[in-house]
Amino acid sequence: MLSRFDLGWNDWDDMFSAMSQLRGYMDRMFEDSASTRAWTPRALLPTFGGSWPRANFSDNGSSLTLTAEVPGLSEKDVKLSLNQDVLTLAGERKTPVPEGYLTHRQERPTVQFSRSFSLPCAVDPDRASASVKDGILTVTLEKAKEAQPRQISVKAS
Amino acid sequence: MARETSLAKQQTQSLVQTEQRPAIAPECDIYESKDELLLVADLPGVSTDALKIDIDNGELALEARRKVASSGSSLGSEFRDCDFRRRFAVPPGIDTAKISADLKNGVLRLHLPKSDSVKPRQISIRAG
Repeated sequence: MLSRFDLGWNDWDDMFSAMSQLRGYMDRMFEDSASTRAWTPRALLPTFGGSWPRANFSDNGSSLTLTAEVPGLSEKDVKLSLNQDVLTLAGERKTPVPEGYLTHRQERPTVQFSRSFSLPCAVDPDRASASVKDGILTVTLEKAKEAQPRQISVKAS
Repeated sequence: MARETSLAKQQTQSLVQTEQRPAIAPECDIYESKDELLLVADLPGVSTDALKIDIDNGELALEARRKVASSGSSLGSEFRDCDFRRRFAVPPGIDTAKISADLKNGVLRLHLPKSDSVKPRQISIRAG
């Protein structure tokens, strides 16, 4: 279409596809209106961690549960480490172009990620468990004995 | 306005809000070899029974429901129950009867084999 005009810069297509990619990121960012993430599209900061993978955190009384969206990864691709009250989730998600194929579209990000979560209470590292199913990582951390909820009986005096 | 080649795909994205459950367009990679088109989509949390792939009149529609297991009280949630929805226009020259898909670790790989009429062929020249 615009190829008749020689601008000395033949990358109109790249520019427009970058713009439509950016628009895709913006759409995804606004889709979750109650999101607590920082104001950065998730795939634009691959090596700074902090936004990939998306994670949910919940408190189940005697344990804490972290779930994260890790499509394409299995147990061995994810490294979990616990250091005092900080849980770190790290690894690498590659999206290699299969041998013998051309790429028409690449939206899935290749990321080296490392996200750390500050835990609200002490946990027992010996009783932590994690599993990955259908691209969702679930980590269950049992709270340390002193952090378990307990009943305090009130004596009438 | 991406480069137009005869086998490039178009996409329409829609973001609809129905009954508090948002529909998200999953991120897709599209590759092409001489025998097929390959679509790879990220569908975390989706199992095979929740995924529907339809091809109708030259349009490929992906639809999946994703439920997030929730327990206890949430201290922060960045992803939730949603529908994954995306449609693509399938170029002519794809053998729709031989389309196959597999879903592993939340990643869908959809193989769209090209019909023989569009595969590159050697044309032998007879001396004469």
